[in-house]
Amino acid sequence: MTVVLVHGPGSGAPARVVGWAVHLPDADPRPADVPSVLAGLIGSACPPEQAGSVLGRKGLLYKEPATRLALLAVHAALAASPPPGAATPTYDPVAPPARAPGPVQPDTAVVACGNFGNVETVVTVARAVRAGGVREVSPLAAPNASSNVLASTIALWFGLAGPNVMVCSGALAGLDGLDIAVRLLRTGRAGRVVLAGAEPGDEVARALHAGPGDRPLRAGGACVVLERAVAPTPVPGPADLVLGADGFDPGVIWGDTYGAQGVVSLALASGAVAAGRAGRVEVSCGDEHDGYRTARVWAS
Amino acid sequence: MLIASSVLRTCLGDGPQTFAALLAGRDGRSPLRPGYPQQLRVAYGYQVDGPAGPYAASRWLADCARRAVAAAGVDTRNVRLACLVGTGLRELSTVEATAGEDLAGVPAHRLHFADAVRAAVPGVGDVVTIANACSASGHALALAQDMVELGDADAVLVCGTDAMTTSMLAMIGRVVDEPTERVRPFDRDRHGVLLGEGAAAVVVVPDHGRPALGRLLATGLSCDAHHETAPSPEGIVRAMRDALTRAGARPADVGLVLAHGTGTALNEPAECAALCEVLLAGGADPLVTGVKGAVGHMSGTAALANLDVALRCLATGSVPPTVGLRVPLAEAAGLRLVREEPAPLPPGLVQIDAFGFGGVNAVTLVGAP
Repeated sequence: MTVVLVHGPGSGAPARVVGWAVHLPDADPRPADVPSVLAGLIGSACPPEQAGSVLGRKGLLYKEPATRLALLAVHAALAASPPPGAATPTYDPVAPPARAPGPVQPDTAVVACGNFGNVETVVTVARAVRAGGVREVSPLAAPNASSNVLASTIALWFGLAGPNVMVCSGALAGLDGLDIAVRLLRTGRAGRVVLAGAEPGDEVARALHAGPGDRPLRAGGACVVLERAVAPTPVPGPADLVLGADGFDPGVIWGDTYGAQGVVSLALASGAVAAGRAGRVEVSCGDEHDGYRTARVWAS
Repeated sequence: MLIASSVLRTCLGDGPQTFAALLAGRDGRSPLRPGYPQQLRVAYGYQVDGPAGPYAASRWLADCARRAVAAAGVDTRNVRLACLVGTGLRELSTVEATAGEDLAGVPAHRLHFADAVRAAVPGVGDVVTIANACSASGHALALAQDMVELGDADAVLVCGTDAMTTSMLAMIGRVVDEPTERVRPFDRDRHGVLLGEGAAAVVVVPDHGRPALGRLLATGLSCDAHHETAPSPEGIVRAMRDALTRAGARPADVGLVLAHGTGTALNEPAECAALCEVLLAGGADPLVTGVKGAVGHMSGTAALANLDVALRCLATGSVPPTVGLRVPLAEAAGLRLVREEPAPLPPGLVQIDAFGFGGVNAVTLVGAP
């Protein structure tokens, strides 16, 4: 079986990718100019308002679209990846265990990446309070006033009780998050890291994004599950597939998931490498304001 | 790992001014600035002097970052200096201020703080904004130490900053029976939290025998995975034990706790239970104090505000009293809360607690240089 390794832009050692998922609602799975190595990696994905059909309805009330997209991506990635030491996945997508009271997993960390998840709620609440006072606001929306609601909801939903980090560094968040995830593994703070990214596509988010016309913001999420690499492995030679501004840019084909774009591309790269369609993939994310960062994914 | 410099800005002024006010038992509470909506049910804040205005969090942060790097003597031409910014609310107050007008007037890259730090600290490397609620700068401290110890950076500028958002004030106002008058950490009759404004910055460097303000031993991290807003002693206990393990320290080594102490119904019993389970049951008998009655809850800056105070306790040998505390809550029985007067600093390490929305916990241990 192919071992998929990843090396972040600023972390000095690789990690192993043991699970991945991309969740882009309404994405054309086979646009004309998509490279054949990526064919089939974008599957059908339900929109956030139908998340209950996959995750079960309980607990989704007042959950932001970006939070739902992240949960859907993590759900799919965990369902496909066995935990350390196990041969098969123990996460049951039909009866997700963390929804029931049970022991949490302190050895699994969460690093979530995104910027716009709660901006619509924040703006809506501020407008409502100005119009009619705090009685206009539901206390059930309270967690959404805090920018880390995406990361903490993943922890709560799946029972992941290791370090929990919300990265909000603009267009670079996905690969900044990768560096943090790899360091959590290298320092022994976690044995497994769920790296998730998600952005919504609402009106407030689109107004703030206001990027170049060829990369409109789109709603989407992605997840890669990381573990320690068994042995130090040097980053191999030139890439045979480039995902990003210098090659095939998923953000142009399917729309820009901004702070999640790095994780979307990492998940696509992992899928291509695991399927044996690519050997060495370069993944980049960023924009003209935040700059660009590059990671590598390869088969070992 | 050493702390080469620390700069703080609160409602009470800079770091020395804040510490002097704490020792004197003064607080920096003031009526909420004009301009907030009516019927907010929040009447007070612990606000930085002057108007806040757009990009206040970025301005306070830039000022602290510039001064911390200068005080540390770090030259970015020779040193790979990375930066981690911990924040609860990012520049969402600026987004809210334009919510009735042109949202596109706030570009996405100004929601986070890379621009602000790069302008203040030319030559700085990666600037990553961590939005980990009320323990954000505690998480940033942990990740900064990881970066230096793994050799991914030579030094890290760790910052915290937050301005108040209307949406967060609304949520605070929505859940209280009566508007909160003041923050009373560990008080039997505490009535909830109020927000504080400000920023802080420290520079952490490897231990090469250089002069420093203090020794950064370790930060333990955990997530409760228990409840969206209510803290869990079990999760807090894991973070405290993680900090001790990483520091190679025993509970009895802790002489002082700078508590999270938000003055809320739920935080204090959970924090007291965890302190009793880890420290008291482990043979420690630390002093416990809290600063939020004087500076409010500074959200993403809270851990670094506590750190600046901890370093001044180590430098002066004095521990400020818990401003706002009158009669301790029953769950604090057995804990030596510092009240009314400053106390002499006991020997040993200082523990800094920071817990955030969503059950994200960071517990830091520091010692004399």
